[in-house]
Amino acid sequence: MTGGLVFYRNNVDMPKRIEITLKPNLVDPEGESLRHKAGDYFGINLEAVRTVQIVTIDAVLSDDQMERARDAIFTNPVTQISAFSPLPMDFDQMIWVGFRPGVRDNPGATAVEALEDLLRIRLKPGEAVYTSKRYCLKGRGLSRPDAEKIAGALLANDIIQQWRVYTPDQWDPKTGVGIIIPKVILNHTPEVKTLSIDSDETLARLSHERNLSLHPNDIPVIRAYFLDPDVKRQRQAVGLCDPTDVELEYISQGRSDHCNHNTFGGRFFYQDLETGEQETLTSLFKTCIEKPTLSLKEKKPWVVSVLWDNAGVGRFDENTFYTITGETHNSPSTMEAYGGSITGIVGVYRDPMGTGKGSRLIMGSYGFCVGPRDYSGDLTPHLHPRRLLDGVIEGVRDGGNKSGIPTPFGQVTFHPGYLGKCLVFVTALGIMPAEINGEPSDQKTILPGDQVVMCGGRVGKDGIHGVTASSATFSAHTPAGHVQIGDPYTQKKMQDFLLEARDAGLIRFITDNGGGGLSSSVGETARCSNGCEIRLETVPLKYDGMDPWEIWISESQERMTVAVDPRNLDRFMALSRKHAVESTVIGTYTDTGKLHITYNGVTCAYVDLSLLTANFPKWEFDAVWQSPEHRGLTEPVLGMPEKMADLILDMLSRPNICSKAWIARQYDHEVQGTSVIKPLVGKDRDIPTDAAVIRPVLSSSRGLVFSQALIPTYSAIDAWHMAACTIDEAVRRAISVGGDPDHLGGVDNFCWPAIQYDPAKNPDGRHKAAQLVRACKAMEKMCLTYGIPLLSGKDSMYVDGHLSGRYGETHKVSALETLQFSVTGVIADVFQCMTLSAKMPGDRVWVVGMTQNELGGSEFYEHFGYIGLNVPKVDPEGFFALYQRVAAAGKKGLLASCHGVYRGGLAIHLAMVAMAGDLGMDVDLSKIPASGVDRDDTLLFSESAGRFIVTVPPDHEPAFSALMKDFPAACVGVVTEMPMLSITGTHGKNLATLTMEQMKMAFNAPFGNLI
Amino acid sequence: MTIKPRALVLTGFGLNCDHETAYVFEQAGAAAHRVHINALIAGDVRLDAFQILVFGGGFSWGDDHGAGVIQALRLKTNLGDQLQAFVAAEKLVMGICNGFQTLVNLGLLPGLDNDYTRRCVALIHNDCGNFQDRWVNLAVNPASPCVFTRNMATLALPVRHGEGKFYTDEATLQTLVGGNQIALQYALPDGTPADGRFPHNPNGSLMDIAGICDPTGRVFGLMPHPEAYHHFTHHPDWTRRLDLYRRQGRALESTRGEGLQLFENAVGYFG
Repeated sequence: MTGGLVFYRNNVDMPKRIEITLKPNLVDPEGESLRHKAGDYFGINLEAVRTVQIVTIDAVLSDDQMERARDAIFTNPVTQISAFSPLPMDFDQMIWVGFRPGVRDNPGATAVEALEDLLRIRLKPGEAVYTSKRYCLKGRGLSRPDAEKIAGALLANDIIQQWRVYTPDQWDPKTGVGIIIPKVILNHTPEVKTLSIDSDETLARLSHERNLSLHPNDIPVIRAYFLDPDVKRQRQAVGLCDPTDVELEYISQGRSDHCNHNTFGGRFFYQDLETGEQETLTSLFKTCIEKPTLSLKEKKPWVVSVLWDNAGVGRFDENTFYTITGETHNSPSTMEAYGGSITGIVGVYRDPMGTGKGSRLIMGSYGFCVGPRDYSGDLTPHLHPRRLLDGVIEGVRDGGNKSGIPTPFGQVTFHPGYLGKCLVFVTALGIMPAEINGEPSDQKTILPGDQVVMCGGRVGKDGIHGVTASSATFSAHTPAGHVQIGDPYTQKKMQDFLLEARDAGLIRFITDNGGGGLSSSVGETARCSNGCEIRLETVPLKYDGMDPWEIWISESQERMTVAVDPRNLDRFMALSRKHAVESTVIGTYTDTGKLHITYNGVTCAYVDLSLLTANFPKWEFDAVWQSPEHRGLTEPVLGMPEKMADLILDMLSRPNICSKAWIARQYDHEVQGTSVIKPLVGKDRDIPTDAAVIRPVLSSSRGLVFSQALIPTYSAIDAWHMAACTIDEAVRRAISVGGDPDHLGGVDNFCWPAIQYDPAKNPDGRHKAAQLVRACKAMEKMCLTYGIPLLSGKDSMYVDGHLSGRYGETHKVSALETLQFSVTGVIADVFQCMTLSAKMPGDRVWVVGMTQNELGGSEFYEHFGYIGLNVPKVDPEGFFALYQRVAAAGKKGLLASCHGVYRGGLAIHLAMVAMAGDLGMDVDLSKIPASGVDRDDTLLFSESAGRFIVTVPPDHEPAFSALMKDFPAACVGVVTEMPMLSITGTHGKNLATLTMEQMKMAFNAPFGNLI
Repeated sequence: MTIKPRALVLTGFGLNCDHETAYVFEQAGAAAHRVHINALIAGDVRLDAFQILVFGGGFSWGDDHGAGVIQALRLKTNLGDQLQAFVAAEKLVMGICNGFQTLVNLGLLPGLDNDYTRRCVALIHNDCGNFQDRWVNLAVNPASPCVFTRNMATLALPVRHGEGKFYTDEATLQTLVGGNQIALQYALPDGTPADGRFPHNPNGSLMDIAGICDPTGRVFGLMPHPEAYHHFTHHPDWTRRLDLYRRQGRALESTRGEGLQLFENAVGYFG
């Protein structure tokens, strides 16, 4: 009896594995996709790839329970076969890929839910389901190194995954891959350490050892606090003397550049070597962002709330507010593209969720800056740009689509500067009622006694100290937590729950857990009531053995912190259970002025909240500007091209110009039923739109326009003009689809290489610092003139990487100084919206705005390997007056189409208008309003800002012409039935004729085989 | 005036088209309620108080382990009898995208031989290997008993899915053909069959199948999103159409989109 029981127990206790594959007669799309990539990327010819999913169940289940699970959950009787033993699959090489311990396994987690539901059981602590895959490759002469290449460079990333390659002779058909349980086992008893800070040197050493990244200037301030006799006395009363690890980690988080924006709040000593001008700027944030925005808020009644909450708030209509913010997730995406980008998009969605009392997400956008997709040079980035781009595309796809949030706009920029570190911009917009239970939704407060509630995911060793966490200490059960995988499913449930809780009046205050985790979210919100008491042992953990300081600063995703009135706590928790969301009271807000943290009843942190707002010394930067002329930049000596048609076609094929439709099609841009202007427009729906428009309130005809721009190449000449042109482009994009010049809100996302000068490590730091000062000043000027309050913004510094070269040497690769600028605004009636496509033969083609000799930093120069000098310049006052006229013409219905002229100049953008309409155009270059231009190539490719191409029905031309009086604008041609773009040069003779077929081929082919 | 039929739109666990689906049912004349799956399971809301049950779009349980599989499992385990009773009471069931995937995994579709529990058709990964958002042309089977597609011939709608390829065995396929259960098929712009050609048939569905109904026509599932074409400005060509109207001196007569008709047909069934 006993023996039998023991045997039975062993059998049941053993983790079990189910293998699942498609029936052999069915196409395996995942296998096919891998087969294509292996051929396209590495020239490895595979004949067939079949995938097998492996579900490993580490839980005590009977054979009968296992069989029911296999049948009901893991096997579709119509399409799949499965078995508890390895499925017999034919292969020449086989690759197994599974997660490392502690990496979020989303299918594993939903499998647990399904098992519990089906079997009406609860899995015990420590029990779990793990998923992995094997890929069975068939190919003549396929070698083990081929398979290793596919595994390491396509399927698995060592940071989050483990993989093995099997040849048929190494494969045991009975055991298969074996039972692999990537379970986190820490074998650690949590402890709080007290750290001696007997000297500045000791604290500096501690900072280095513990990766605290404390600024040297902060160290005396921190020590002075803990050595203060009053502070010492108060600490003694709660049993503390020297600072604990929890406290130092809290201070480190609070002082980090991420949380504190030390760069934008720093002091810049700016010097212009040419003019001798010197200036000290005490805070770029205060001067260039806060001041103009607050002054515009006075003039623009639609600005509701700016500069303090997780996102900015604008008025959509009488009863509704919209919210907007933008983020970047560069370092994690560089290391693990999919995980980094999905965590980025899912993370930025928590910002509007945590704005005011909470808003519902209504759209997202993306901006990807990566190295050349076909890079074949000597440098070896962690991920090749092609793979990196694939990964970030997929991450934003799953993060957006699975959140049920449309992604109707985005951009991609290729440049070698992003080989060192890629940029992943993610932007989010939300909407909320202007009032909730009679109170303004944008305002929130916390009262002493309110409960601190953590909602959503559990806490693990995720994101602790960001990507600086060492990967050198991997073992079989070490959590690989420094790069995470976002979980949109868990977050979607949480969003549904929080919106219902908001509308029921159960939320007093809400904020998200992002960088810094609880340390930031609780630390910052506690300032509202002026204190809190936190019981760290109550925080739900993914696994045992975490130290209190780790719990406190963990960046585990999908969590919000909510302040709940104790009288509402029961209702709040009941609603949380209904939505299957985990919510936990982890403490109480107080008014003691202290951050008081205990672990199992023992105090482990007792710090004055005022410490972090105390007078820490500002960071300081030397910024030295030399004009482009002084730096030796010149215009190239370039003769007039003879084969203009070929040149235009090659320009249309350039990676930064050509179609990236394959990305837009993967993104659900119509969910929520709000789509008005889609990412791809035109008769064949294959031309990228100027901007997106959604109609977020279904019963209203009001719209919300969204656009963004990125033109980093101009920074190679002068970041002032980069910033001005970027902002100008974003605005023109919005105007082109019907945006209202009187309602434009901005979001600035700066991504800059390191700016702190160091003679060895950053010899051009002073130049990059000067570029930042200039970009900020340009932004201030642009925003004030165009009337754009900065509703939100973020900066991400240190966009540099050290890459190995051919000889084992390393190179520091710094990105171009980059600003992504987003614009949003309310459109009174979406029926006034326009697209860029030519609509009707006979319509008049107008070019609005002045074309100048401004090829510096252009796509045209880049095509020939030049930078040049004459960067496009913005005339803010003049341009904006013109935009109001263009917008008025659109509003009056005078325009059949409207399109801004951007990268590539008139040649490219005339082609876009023609291609979108599937119609031809006859254009005469001598008619183009121009100043200081004497060459046809300059007219065609100059990237002068401030320009539009519009098509006007002939009967509207007089009215339009009247509006354009006193402005540089002229009719330059006509829309034709014949699908050809025909360009007459200034000499009066034909310069180029391009057929629709040629243009579409050139534009669509470069990435045309990607889906 | 007759009482409005009550439509229940499921929410929760990663479903996401509930707001617009409920809105469109309201536009079509129903009284629509968004109801969390757990509220239905707990009995806080009773299914038998409704006439139309809607499984909407989304990513229920992240679509891990097959789109709609876990949602179907949860409903079958907790509400199986109520669902069968709902169908037996000759009420309407609609599944859109993830909802269609759920209906076939529940066995409510295709409902052959009056068996509303058997899984015999599947919606699997698109042949193209990826999620696709694009507009498709659809041809309606005029001989279908489908309640939802009555008096319709063609329409354009967006698809937005990664797992929409309709698949079944040959015998089942012939049964569906014979019973005119294939209500909607992907077509070329002129209304003729797409015949498997991408992107007109966006996923490789057998026989270009975009939507099927049960033999009675009261249970209907489709991959395209009719709720996403309830307004004139949803259609990708709306600016071109409006431009043409203006030139012809015509006013826009209605702001409605073609997809609304499916919902009006459902409401009209109770009229």
